[in-house]
Amino acid sequence: MSGTESAFRETSAEPRTEALPYSHLSLELGHLYMEDFVEGPSRLRRHFAAVRPWADAARAGLGTLNSDKRPRISTCFLIDDYFSRLSTPAELIPPLLEAAAEAGLTIDYLARESGCAGPVSGGTEPLAGSSGRRDRVELAECVLRRLVESPPPDSTGFRPPVSRTGWLTNGRRSPFQRISPALNSTGAVWQPPSETGARGHSVFMDVELWSGPEEERSWSCAFLAALWQLVRLGLLRDNGHAVLTPTPWEDKEFPADWDALAPVLRLDPRAAPFTAYVTSSVLPARFLPVEHAVRVILDQVHVEAEALGQVAERCAAEGFNVPAGVVDRISYVFPVGL
Amino acid sequence: MSGLGTTSGPVLACGEVHTCLLPTSDAVDERAAEQLLRLRTDEPVRLSRHPSRYAVSPGLLTGVDCWMPSVTGTRSRAVGTVTARAAIVEGRVLQSSAYFSAPACGPDRRQSWGHYLVRPGCLIPVGRLPVRSVAEGFLAGPRQNELDIGPIAESLTARISRHRILDLSPPLTTADTSLRWTATPAAGGKETSVLFTKADDGLRTVELRLPHATTPAAAAGLCEDLALHDWLLTTVAYKLDGLQAGYEDSRLLKVLCSLVDHLLHLWMPLSRVDRTLHTAWEELDENSGYSRQWNALAQRIRDQLVLRAVRSRSELLTSD
Amino acid sequence: MLVLAASDKGGTGRSVTSANLAYQRSLDGDDVCFLDFDFGSPTAAAVFDLPDGVHRAEGCGLHSYLQGRTGEPLRIDVWSRTEHPALRDRPAGSGRLVLLPGDRTGGEFLTTEENRHRLVDLVLRLQREFSFLFVDLSAGRSYAVDLLLTATSPHAGLGRLENRWLVFHRWTRQHVMAAAELAYGSQGLVHAGTAMGHQPDVLSGSIRFVRAAVPDLESPLWSQVSPAQYVWMRQCDQALEELAAGRGIGKARVLASIPLEPVLQWQERLITDEDVYDRGIARNETWQAMKDLAQRLTIDTFWGQW
Repeated sequence: MSGTESAFRETSAEPRTEALPYSHLSLELGHLYMEDFVEGPSRLRRHFAAVRPWADAARAGLGTLNSDKRPRISTCFLIDDYFSRLSTPAELIPPLLEAAAEAGLTIDYLARESGCAGPVSGGTEPLAGSSGRRDRVELAECVLRRLVESPPPDSTGFRPPVSRTGWLTNGRRSPFQRISPALNSTGAVWQPPSETGARGHSVFMDVELWSGPEEERSWSCAFLAALWQLVRLGLLRDNGHAVLTPTPWEDKEFPADWDALAPVLRLDPRAAPFTAYVTSSVLPARFLPVEHAVRVILDQVHVEAEALGQVAERCAAEGFNVPAGVVDRISYVFPVGL
Repeated sequence: MSGLGTTSGPVLACGEVHTCLLPTSDAVDERAAEQLLRLRTDEPVRLSRHPSRYAVSPGLLTGVDCWMPSVTGTRSRAVGTVTARAAIVEGRVLQSSAYFSAPACGPDRRQSWGHYLVRPGCLIPVGRLPVRSVAEGFLAGPRQNELDIGPIAESLTARISRHRILDLSPPLTTADTSLRWTATPAAGGKETSVLFTKADDGLRTVELRLPHATTPAAAAGLCEDLALHDWLLTTVAYKLDGLQAGYEDSRLLKVLCSLVDHLLHLWMPLSRVDRTLHTAWEELDENSGYSRQWNALAQRIRDQLVLRAVRSRSELLTSD
Repeated sequence: MLVLAASDKGGTGRSVTSANLAYQRSLDGDDVCFLDFDFGSPTAAAVFDLPDGVHRAEGCGLHSYLQGRTGEPLRIDVWSRTEHPALRDRPAGSGRLVLLPGDRTGGEFLTTEENRHRLVDLVLRLQREFSFLFVDLSAGRSYAVDLLLTATSPHAGLGRLENRWLVFHRWTRQHVMAAAELAYGSQGLVHAGTAMGHQPDVLSGSIRFVRAAVPDLESPLWSQVSPAQYVWMRQCDQALEELAAGRGIGKARVLASIPLEPVLQWQERLITDEDVYDRGIARNETWQAMKDLAQRLTIDTFWGQW
């Protein structure tokens, strides 16, 4: 296929996919609403005390996966500054780190949820520099465009795209009936929704990815959480470049404004790489529906072949057994008491 | 993506190309074309300036799970993704192209969706694929509940047409065309062959037999080139058809000028077609006389304009 | 250009007049498409003399398309399919004339987001091919009217297309009031359109009225009336004119008055020059009024806000 490809060599360099460093496991030490933080340090202490044994279990579990080397594990914590901002980084972050330390846990990487939604930036270069490179592009928008809906049986290619509806399912919706029966000539009767590939009975889910008009979309928690998983798995690129690469932060002080912080901070200079082959998240059970939605979304993201290939190669070289499906690379613990 | 007829590769590739005038008054520049074609933000629009300005979007996938078209009534199902891309030629013509390839057989039941996502642009049959019947059925057009990739291509055209930088007042009205194609590997030792058919309502079908190991993307590229030139010829011929008979002078002049301004310079066959497929166009051109007809039409337009210029000059002179 | 034909009630000659306008524009060399959005009673196929049109459209007409039951609505090339004897030979220099029929069994439908997207896609596709799109809308503030009103609002997909509304009404007291109500009433086009994002002055500047089946008292048709009848009818005409002016649909906002045409009373059809000159069955005044109206669609001085 020489002729076709060579025609493009003049203006656009061959696409190159940036390589990333990988840990074996990215361990998320919980997720809290802004309201939880407002409750004070005791709430945070309770949280990390409950997380601790499960963090240990996740480490221990990894040992069996990978016998010949000491596993590389990095920990992270995602702060929700997208849906509400009740407090400043200066007020919120130091008590958080203290509470974790009291439970014997270290937060290696601290991320902001609006970083997942916001403009693409390699964390090491200043935000302004990256927005000058091209138009302001939202990372969430990039992932939205990579969604390839899993077709329920009898999908012939003739369906409205998800980018238009903003909803994504794991099956087939019940056909809606907005036409009054008197005028409805098709004689259709109600049909139940169905899950594609269900075992016997369906657990149908319809996930809202965003709301609001196109110019000022508000991304849903589920969609941003799916993105967060993809970032941790090191499977996202923007035009071949790494995204949300961690920015070192060694100050004890934190600014008063969230936007003054890079989307992902590396708090411990000796930490294992942020991105990892597999992820584990210790979360309160109230996030279960969101994480179910995350799985529905991840199952339908068309991940760049190059990025997948890099991970596969690295894992093979290390003798680490990574599941082929992206959705099979994430795991959860929902302990009592979080 | 592996080539047609290779051991693990596809035995069939099919596609549909929609061609239309970009709905705006003037040709757009490279920047605008890039903006229009940025269907995915994480992958660049590929641009080329030689031998003509050309921009092509990154590929978009659409999942399908349905019956394959068939002429014999043999029911076969396939699951997977169809690739679609849009291209703008010289800032003036918009093409949307959807295509897929299919291996001879696949697993007996549908796999997890991830299995198909790592094979972009591939429809994997559930069981065996009746290749001949599917290829013929595809060209004949889908029946109810059969694979229909026309809407996939059309949705790209629709999406781009909605863009705010287009003023929606094209300089001339033109009919869109759809070109539906199938490609199978040429039997051992046989040459490339092309069977091009023109139907009503702007539909064309192309049946290709291509060299062993031709990639589906290269086959799609060839068909996009065929579709572009067929559209150009059809459009210009239609605009000239019957012009002399009933049009008053100013109208005729307007049509001739818009053809010169917008379409005449676009004829450039094989600019971006894989070298191994050039014989396909050459064979078609030999039989249909496309290039000869185009040259004649272009010459006629230029002659008309020269004549008019001479006439209006002599009118000026006599009125002085 | 999108020409949206609405009417306060049925029986105003909306369908037949707009079909005639489409025909006239295509005679002038414009490529014209006629969309039958009168889902309650699609009649365009009959007006264009396409006897199998309604039958063929079943399941693949505009209504099915909007509901997502077909990917491409049926198109009928009028010049090649019509059974109207005068139309079968397409005149030299004429443009294309294509009908997109409604489905007979479709019934009305509700305005939904998806319907609107499908409509926008369709219109954008058609406007590459045609310089005129005539849309014949069901009578009253129907769903079809709402659908077009939302789709043509500045920020919706068709906001950038030039669009002009024609409100058809008959020349009676009830019809004049109903037409004014349809345009300017509290449930009317301008109010509803404003709520959907239209600029009220721009929208009302793009609405004009067409008086249909207007009795012309000076015409030979009425030559037999008694002097008393004549005086009475004059007074009525005068009173109607005052009523119309008072409701904001006076002469300045009228694009045309189509005289009462006996042929159209008998049969909803296209009026050809043959009907006027060779067969003498249609009146020259009607033919001329249709022609003028067709021209005025694109003469900017007839449009805009006063």
